[in-house]
Amino acid sequence: MVISRRAALAAGLAVPFIRLARAADEPLRIGALCPLTGAGGQYGPSMVKVIQATADEINQAGGIGGRQIAVTVADTQTNPDAGVAGGHKLIDVDRVSAVVGTWASAVTTAVAPLCWEAKVMLFTVSGADSITKLPHHGYIIRTQPNTHLQMTRATQFLLDNKAKRVFALAAQTPFAVDSYTRITEVLKAGGGEAIGQIIYDPKQTSFRSEIDRALGEKPDTLFLNAYAPDLAILLRELFQAAYDGHRITPGYAATPKVLSSLQPELTNGLWSFAPSPDLDSPAYAAVRKILGTQNPDPYSCQVYDHVNLIALAVAKSGQATGTAIHDAVREVSQGSGQEVHSAIEGMKLLAAGTTVNYSGASGPCDFTPEGDIISCKFRFDEVEGGQPKLLSLS
Amino acid sequence: MEGAVLAVPAIGFNAVYAVLRFANFAVGSIATIGAFAGWIANSTLGWPIAPSLLAAFLAAGVVGIVADEAVLRPLRSSGPLTTAIASVALAIILENAVRFGFGNDPHGFTLPLYRDWHGLGLHLGRQQAQDAAASIVAMAALFCFLAFTRAGKTMRAVADNPMLASLKGIDAVRIGRIANFVGMGLAGFGGMLIALDTQVDPLTGFRVLLSIFAAAVVGGLGSIPGAVMGAFLIGIGEEMSLLVLPATYRGAVGFLAILLILSFRPSGLLGQRAS
Repeated sequence: MVISRRAALAAGLAVPFIRLARAADEPLRIGALCPLTGAGGQYGPSMVKVIQATADEINQAGGIGGRQIAVTVADTQTNPDAGVAGGHKLIDVDRVSAVVGTWASAVTTAVAPLCWEAKVMLFTVSGADSITKLPHHGYIIRTQPNTHLQMTRATQFLLDNKAKRVFALAAQTPFAVDSYTRITEVLKAGGGEAIGQIIYDPKQTSFRSEIDRALGEKPDTLFLNAYAPDLAILLRELFQAAYDGHRITPGYAATPKVLSSLQPELTNGLWSFAPSPDLDSPAYAAVRKILGTQNPDPYSCQVYDHVNLIALAVAKSGQATGTAIHDAVREVSQGSGQEVHSAIEGMKLLAAGTTVNYSGASGPCDFTPEGDIISCKFRFDEVEGGQPKLLSLS
Repeated sequence: MEGAVLAVPAIGFNAVYAVLRFANFAVGSIATIGAFAGWIANSTLGWPIAPSLLAAFLAAGVVGIVADEAVLRPLRSSGPLTTAIASVALAIILENAVRFGFGNDPHGFTLPLYRDWHGLGLHLGRQQAQDAAASIVAMAALFCFLAFTRAGKTMRAVADNPMLASLKGIDAVRIGRIANFVGMGLAGFGGMLIALDTQVDPLTGFRVLLSIFAAAVVGGLGSIPGAVMGAFLIGIGEEMSLLVLPATYRGAVGFLAILLILSFRPSGLLGQRAS
């Protein structure tokens, strides 16, 4: 067979177009790296359900300019080792452009270097201050308020409720030290005092000795910076030790399931704080519909926003790479564009040449250059009869 | 108190090792199954704690036998290391089977709450004291079984000298099943005791696996009195470590104990075999 020079030239010129056509056919690959088991196992399954349902919804609406979204799921086991193994698999084998849903700060800290070295965008729901201080070159974005903001609000709440002597019992996490530092600063400024902290190994089955030492300092409030399994033990042992002061804990530890599994005597009066989703947002209503519940957890709301932001960034840039998402995400998440609450809504406007500003189920989704969210609402609850009752939302 | 609770699954681990000569790392998952069985008996069927503990023992014992017959016994001829590795896989399968059935959510027992007893500058947890008493009853029952029943005596015979026991016509397979039932039943019993103080979830047993293994190694693999001694040493050691170490290193006590024992007395404090 003889190929003419003209045919060869035509074929050569066609190669870039064929590549472009193929690139448009290639799906956008997203890795859902969630805690399906372990201490975060109460959240992971619903997070994955929301990620898959959001991708399906975009796919059924025609995808991102015809490009479908393919979601691959991996379990972190709420464990850095398993998280890194899952991250390697998603990045090296499944060739994802973005990883979403890392929950525990220790897992996110371990997975983040894999992402930025591979130029894969990492969307996380972890709160430790240290995460966005990593040299991530803009490849990390989080929708969870950082430790500094969370502890500022929680400690201010304690001061408003006349707490004077606060002792912290904290699970060993990347945010335990930063949390206590911020609690100390805010208490000192408000006339209170942080009188000590014990960082414990959360895998233990008893914390009697830690509690004895904490109560020896005569606190009027205990800051239980725990995860759900260790919170249950702490509450039981504090009751047994006849502690009758205030107790406050993050909302991710005092889940409805944990509260309902404990006797009301153990949980009555327990305060919890949590970043609150935007309850009035259409995006929040969409998450409610996906999960079939009136009160979806904050992390499911956040991963809904992650998938929508990724889809909008890919639509904006026209490319499905981690770098393209990295470059375009703030062009669709903030600014003076028209406010949208879903990628489907936003993609229509982008196609028409209108700029958009995504506001999601978790809040406004505006990010600092470091990757932290700029603002969000917080809710404070007090447990009564095994149920959290809203005290304030602001 | 913690040591007393830890002793029960550690005895179960060593009972299986003594007769079948392999380390069954599925003991943590079997403890979880016992905790779930006890929780169902207590919270769903409304049984008191004592019969619920019996249910935990029986359910864990039965699952232990079935799992052994299906997974571990066919591999036993390949050597103890192969069987031990298979038991790790079995543990993962059992843990996830529990997760499929009951989800990740924690569950609690229906039991009265007690404040601690105080006196002489000390305080004693009533729930922990009850758990320790239940452990002692289980250990006493095991002692009676091994000392006074024909099945118990044959188990000891196989543990002491399997070849001589075989020459005497003792059916090693049957004794293996009995050892598995008793050993895994004790793991389930201990799993429920742990869950009484904590909660029931798919990781209830896994969280104490290192402590169980450390207790067994420190006491001497295959030695039942050794398991009791090892459990008390690990339990007390973990609490006392807080006097000299930050609380975050408490979990390292088990590793440290294993390191020291394997360095200076590989057979364990009361162990005979160190092969």
